[in-house]
Amino acid sequence: MKKIKLILLALLLLIPFNVKAIVPPMSDFYVNDYANVLSSETEEYIIDQSKKLAAVDGTQIVVVTVPDLDGEEIEDYAHELFKSYGIGDSQKNNGLLLLLALEERLMRIEVGDGLEGILPDGKTGRFQDEYMIPYFSEDDFDKGMKNGYDAFYSEIVKLNNLDIDYSEPTMPSSDISYSFAEKFAFFVFIGVFGFIIGVNMGISMGPFTKKHKPLGYTIDIILNLIILLCFSAPAIPFILGFIFGLQEGMKHPYRTRYGSVRNRYYDSGSSFSFGGSSSSGGGGHSSGGGSTRHF
Amino acid sequence: MKKTKNVILIILLVVVIFIVGVVASGVGAYNSIVGSEENVNKALSNIDTQLQRRADLIPNLVNTVKGYMKHEQDIIDSITEARQNLVNASTLEDKDQANKALTDAINQLYIVVENYPDLKANTNFIALQDEIAGSENRVAVARKDYNEAVNNYNTMIKRFPNNLIASMFGFESKEYFQADSDANEVPEVSFD
Repeated sequence: MKKIKLILLALLLLIPFNVKAIVPPMSDFYVNDYANVLSSETEEYIIDQSKKLAAVDGTQIVVVTVPDLDGEEIEDYAHELFKSYGIGDSQKNNGLLLLLALEERLMRIEVGDGLEGILPDGKTGRFQDEYMIPYFSEDDFDKGMKNGYDAFYSEIVKLNNLDIDYSEPTMPSSDISYSFAEKFAFFVFIGVFGFIIGVNMGISMGPFTKKHKPLGYTIDIILNLIILLCFSAPAIPFILGFIFGLQEGMKHPYRTRYGSVRNRYYDSGSSFSFGGSSSSGGGGHSSGGGSTRHF
Repeated sequence: MKKTKNVILIILLVVVIFIVGVVASGVGAYNSIVGSEENVNKALSNIDTQLQRRADLIPNLVNTVKGYMKHEQDIIDSITEARQNLVNASTLEDKDQANKALTDAINQLYIVVENYPDLKANTNFIALQDEIAGSENRVAVARKDYNEAVNNYNTMIKRFPNNLIASMFGFESKEYFQADSDANEVPEVSFD
């Protein structure tokens, strides 16, 4: 009887070791968006990039988001996740875990032993401060996670001298950051502006054949030149537009040919991916290194 | 005559096979106990390594903080002292005690840092904070790993037939690393 009691007691003592309500890895392994905060483009991007990296030297970067931590400390939760997923190669221990807990508003980076050299705790904290938290504090989890992922990815690729394409993260230091489309629209606008002035000037100069010009012609040109100088900063699109406009205007009677602008920087869509094989952890180990941030 | 000789031979053979089997399984059990004990020792020295790593970070912290804090010499002294105790401690229990004292001293520092916005924003200081928090977490992980290794070892030497081998060669059960006492203690509330 006494022995049975002892065994029961031992079993009870074992329970706290095993009851850990961590989320299981999803089929794609590299992205486990349980909190549902990532866009499908970001998920695909991360899965693609992580697969490429793992194919080169076994480094595995895994992103996990959870709605809440179920009362656990994020450090324990992250370590438990790292261990049970087995992130990284079992010999090189080159795994990296990015864990976001939505309700607690916590972000943790857990670093496998093999990556501690290039990603010391202090650096992982700085990367969070610089590349992730500014977005997270505005509830832009998708952008923050992608940007942070890029930061760690590019650091690993660069410092390990790997031959893979990577994208640099953006540093959201200034509050105003224009997207590429916005910048493009701005330049088109300036170009059109220059074009109109050019047309204006061209008309006043008249066709090439006219030999004698009235006084108004000189004044017009000077006025237009002053306006031109005022926009010297974004000068290139302006001047280009101006020259085109001038040519058009001098053809008089002019035929406006505002051609449609086509964005040439479209994605070529040649991303490389491995056919359907689902990934899994390589059995990497972490000693609990990394950093935690509240946002 | 020949028949009884044969029977004796068969019995002898069975006995020999039995003895060989017992010895072989005994050797196997012995080896696995040794291996398990080795894991415990490895986990134990890992705690030591992580504590040492923690102690190594402190001088850097003190140097960074010194330049900013002119009026908090007490706290800086208490951190230096706690670190010295940690370095000098010989047994693991002493080291654990010293480590706790060090944690308390560092937490004191973090409280007064609120009054020094320049220090708080210093990137070097922020990085050090991360390193120290990381080392704390590594100690916690190493401690958990140790307890797991002890758990494996203890259950192994209690199981039959390993318990026979264990008592024969003097393998004794090992003690768990006590969980953080202040974390588990229920705070005393007095109503007088």
